[in-house]
Amino acid sequence: MTTGTSSLIVSGLDRHRLRDIATGSVTSIAVALVIVVVVGLSAIGPDFLSASNITIIGSFVAIPMLVAAFAGFALLAGVVDLSIGSMLGLSSNVCAWLMVAGWPLWAAIPVALVACLICGAINATAVVIFGADTIAATLGMLVALRGITFIISGSVGMIPAFDPNFFAFINLTAGPLPVIFLISLALIALAAIIVMRTRIGRHVQAVGGDDRAASRAGISVTGVRFVALLLSALGAGIGGVLYVGQLGSASNYTGTGLEFQVYAAMMIGGYSILRGGVGNPLGAALGLLVVAGTSNIIDVKAISPYLTNAIIGLLLLAAVLLDRLRGGDAFE
Amino acid sequence: MTDVATTTPETTLSRGAAFRANLPAGWGTAAVVAGAWVLLIIVSGIHRADFLSHQTVLAISFTMAIVGVLAVAQALVGISGGILDLSQPTGLIMSAAIVAWLLERNVPTAVVVVAGILVGAVWGFANATIVVVAKLNPIIVTLATNFIGGAVMFLVYQNAQAPLNSSFSAFGRGYFLGLPNIWWPMVILILVVGYFLPRTRYGRHMIAVGGNRFAAQTRGISLKKTRFAVFSIAGAITGGAGVLFACSNGPFAPTAGATFQLPVIASVILAGCSLAGGRGSIWLILLSVGFLSTVPTSLVFFGLNSNWQQVFQGMILIVAVSIDGWRARRLLK
Repeated sequence: MTTGTSSLIVSGLDRHRLRDIATGSVTSIAVALVIVVVVGLSAIGPDFLSASNITIIGSFVAIPMLVAAFAGFALLAGVVDLSIGSMLGLSSNVCAWLMVAGWPLWAAIPVALVACLICGAINATAVVIFGADTIAATLGMLVALRGITFIISGSVGMIPAFDPNFFAFINLTAGPLPVIFLISLALIALAAIIVMRTRIGRHVQAVGGDDRAASRAGISVTGVRFVALLLSALGAGIGGVLYVGQLGSASNYTGTGLEFQVYAAMMIGGYSILRGGVGNPLGAALGLLVVAGTSNIIDVKAISPYLTNAIIGLLLLAAVLLDRLRGGDAFE
Repeated sequence: MTDVATTTPETTLSRGAAFRANLPAGWGTAAVVAGAWVLLIIVSGIHRADFLSHQTVLAISFTMAIVGVLAVAQALVGISGGILDLSQPTGLIMSAAIVAWLLERNVPTAVVVVAGILVGAVWGFANATIVVVAKLNPIIVTLATNFIGGAVMFLVYQNAQAPLNSSFSAFGRGYFLGLPNIWWPMVILILVVGYFLPRTRYGRHMIAVGGNRFAAQTRGISLKKTRFAVFSIAGAITGGAGVLFACSNGPFAPTAGATFQLPVIASVILAGCSLAGGRGSIWLILLSVGFLSTVPTSLVFFGLNSNWQQVFQGMILIVAVSIDGWRARRLLK
């Protein structure tokens, strides 16, 4: 990928874009995906690519992928939002709670989304307006929202909110692939087009790559980052609502740790949570498939689920190391 | 106050300007935190007169003990420019679990305590190795090692506890001068580290590296050695917290350390330690930990359960880092 700033100045570099993609992060992650498929086939056998297993992986990865499509803009703009997992839990529980209170789905969903947007605005105010450290501030939001989610979900810790039509829609499949997975793919494609082909995308890249240069070029750094954090919150909100449809309930644990799984996958796919301006939604999608495939192998082989966390941790380290070797900032 | 000032990177503040800029960060921060603490106590006392009791003091000082020790470790990492150590929960529980395991095998208490501290130091050293050798940002490294360490602990054990009939556990539940035994090591640690950090050569090296690593390097301070030293010392302190945790708590799972993460980070930032490094007072941690440890007890008296504690702690952290960010921007201008 050419960096945002240079593509602003020398748009002639655009014709090298295809070549850059071929040699860049997306290719390395595609190779990783092939390795996962090979390991899966050898460990589990042909069943790994059976229609039913593909449906399982597809519905497992669909919502995180949708969340990633939105969160990618915040990473790209250089403001990572660690609170997306808790925000997703909040949206899920608010939506389920309202449905139990007798609200129709079409009214409950916007309320859940607005709740997330308000939290996103608080994040953005702290980070963009006051200059708070992004990781520390959104870590605070992560804990605060988990507390609110526990309060909403009550002493049982679970809100059953089954809507037959919603459930049927979420679990619709086209061939082996869940429709919701295809929707997430479409959103990833849309995000990729915005990032690679539009002026807005280039502005986001420029702000993340070098905010001073972007500011000199007349881009509103504050505006871009504020909107990016709102988008990230909106994605988590939509994800939370969809989980209510998929699971038929919301629990106080919905979304716990999702931020690390999504970001680890995105970092494997070429994003960086410490510097903006790098990464591509297609890489994020492939990174998520790698992680989903890995978890699936661990699930099917009935290996301890705790091992998944250890593997995610190792993948995370490998991803940042790869990012540094690819030209990321070295620490000292 | 032991507020320490080094010139901020990328700016050419004169010594005097740096001093003036840091002055409010020392006394001002102390006044604000102390004021907030007193206000919280007064409001809780007015709401429920029985809040002002010895029982409350015990609850608060008990909470303070482990958070305070961990905060010193976190502050050392932060002041020396290592940003944050997110692997503290794993270091804490790893040490506590090994302490419990050794006690069950009738190893002498003194040996167990040293072993607990050493486990923490080794954990810190391991983190430093990855940071220094792979040249990766400590936040990401410790985030990942916390994941890995937690998972590995789950593979080894599900629940651990120090034997209840041991003198070790009796110490953890005992009192000295009306306050819990485990409260005193925390106070001593804060006073000692706070005194020596700005007054010894190695302490000043750490502060210098955090303030401006390139300037420190040209003065002949090795960044790598400093990283190894800071992470190992911070790890040893975390191991010490693990010893205190093991002697004062019931059965604990490998994830038991997670609840400390946020209050520790919040109290370090409230004490004026900038995440950018080079600035912060260890002594102020006593005030910020005291204030933050009063919040949960106070909430109980307002009839709010522990879920509200999370909400308040999260919000306090957001406000604290916002103030920190605002202050850093003003300093740069």
